[in-house]
Amino acid sequence: MSRVVVLGAGIAGHTAAAFARSWLGRGDTVTVVSPRSDYNWVPSNIWVGVGLMKPAQVTFPLAPVYERAGIEFVQAAAKEIHPEGDRDHPTPYVTAETADGETRKVPYDFLINATGPALRFDKTDGLGPEGGNSLSVCLPAHAAQAAAALAEEVERMRKGERRRFLVGVGHGTCTCEGAAFEYIVNLEFELRNRGVRDRAEITWITNEYELGDFGMGGMHLKRGGYVTPSCIFNASLFAERGIDWITRAHVQKVEPDRVLYETVDGREGEKEFDFAMLLPPFSGVGLTAFDSEGAEITERLFLPNEFMRVDADYTPKPHEDWRASDWPRTYQSPDYENIFAAGIAFAPPHAISVPHKSPKGAVIAPAPPRTGMPSAMIGKAVASSIVDMIGGAKAPTHTASMAEMGAACVASAGANPFTGTAASMTVYPIVPDFERYPDYGRDQDRTFGEIGLAGHWIKILLHHLFLYKARLRPGWRRIPE
Amino acid sequence: MDDEKIQYVTKPTRFTVFLRTFLPWQAWRFAAINLKMVGIIRRSHHGDSPK
Repeated sequence: MSRVVVLGAGIAGHTAAAFARSWLGRGDTVTVVSPRSDYNWVPSNIWVGVGLMKPAQVTFPLAPVYERAGIEFVQAAAKEIHPEGDRDHPTPYVTAETADGETRKVPYDFLINATGPALRFDKTDGLGPEGGNSLSVCLPAHAAQAAAALAEEVERMRKGERRRFLVGVGHGTCTCEGAAFEYIVNLEFELRNRGVRDRAEITWITNEYELGDFGMGGMHLKRGGYVTPSCIFNASLFAERGIDWITRAHVQKVEPDRVLYETVDGREGEKEFDFAMLLPPFSGVGLTAFDSEGAEITERLFLPNEFMRVDADYTPKPHEDWRASDWPRTYQSPDYENIFAAGIAFAPPHAISVPHKSPKGAVIAPAPPRTGMPSAMIGKAVASSIVDMIGGAKAPTHTASMAEMGAACVASAGANPFTGTAASMTVYPIVPDFERYPDYGRDQDRTFGEIGLAGHWIKILLHHLFLYKARLRPGWRRIPE
Repeated sequence: MDDEKIQYVTKPTRFTVFLRTFLPWQAWRFAAINLKMVGIIRRSHHGDSPK
């Protein structure tokens, strides 16, 4: 009998747990440890944030789903990993703390760390909805708060006031620019729908060196006889909608009515707002690790950013020397063969976008995105490897390198079944490989993007399809990640 | 928005904007984009079940 423990019930953890359970025999156990009681289909949070959906439409309770699937669910936040057990017993275990402060010991034979990100609003003074001056759509509750604030702004504009909206990222090292991009274009669409667009000034603020970078170095698209960088399309989309932009920016401080920022070229600026939705930077969730003697070994398992070390090449090297082969393939811990990381929890070897610093030393470099499709595919590959290792394999049998997989992404630009649009994009591979594809780092026949109503239909279809799949309804395994 | 900035940005023609929500064209694009995405998904899922 083997015990597989999954920390986290986001896209990566939930996928890994569901597949492991379906592939393992009934003698083996799968346990999910997560502090949240609900699953959240995060890509649809932006629609909650503009008031088109309620949090209940993007979440569902995990306990009944896991009970039906035969997965044990421990609602608690993982705190410590003891990969060698302790003096009394050599069985590896994790400790997890419940909401009422009780600490539980959860033993494992195989561990998947899929704890996702910690939302580090604290990295920028005044950032965030909890005690700060800006809003967020990272969690359903944050998004609902943003929707309520937006409704108030609309009421003020209906009374004739002009209001200023600022959307983007709240720190030089943020990731998920794509989500903030979806939010700003949906916001603009909603203001038009509600008849107040002419009273709104909308500005995008980003750490991207160029628009359309999205933390993956942008992309090049074949269109109209040219290979065109994504910044052209992104700027066009903003210009068409009357959205202004500030790029290459590190937000230093968020005051109640303005942000202070510096840029890569050393310029310092401020931008006033009445409504600001700014995403936070991420780190790992701060798990610690201890050996059998109780000595702390956190540094062996995690990088200083608290993401987990896996089979990547973490040797510091200049951007010119980055290689696709630096990226992990099996997501196995180099120190403990029964520990894996999946989704945002694994430590990337470096960024994908070219990093920059301001003259004052602020790092202005989008962190690599690893949400959605790659998260789920990594979770599934890790589950496959573990099932094979339980069956006798000596090493991981499956890989899911972001430098070898593509991604399909649909970015909503307005939600309406007849007048809405979305940008449909595919990239192959996610991490550019300039050895295989010397010109642009990607296969130009498999990297494309276009905007239109069809994209919105696909986005709606994916919303329902992936929630159906996550509920583990009949046939869920046939729906691809 | 800054007029000078907007002067140097590519903007779509009216026909391009029209096509974005023209139902027959979008029905075709729905099928075409789905096929492209399925291709990417297939290429990325290589033997991902246990052996």
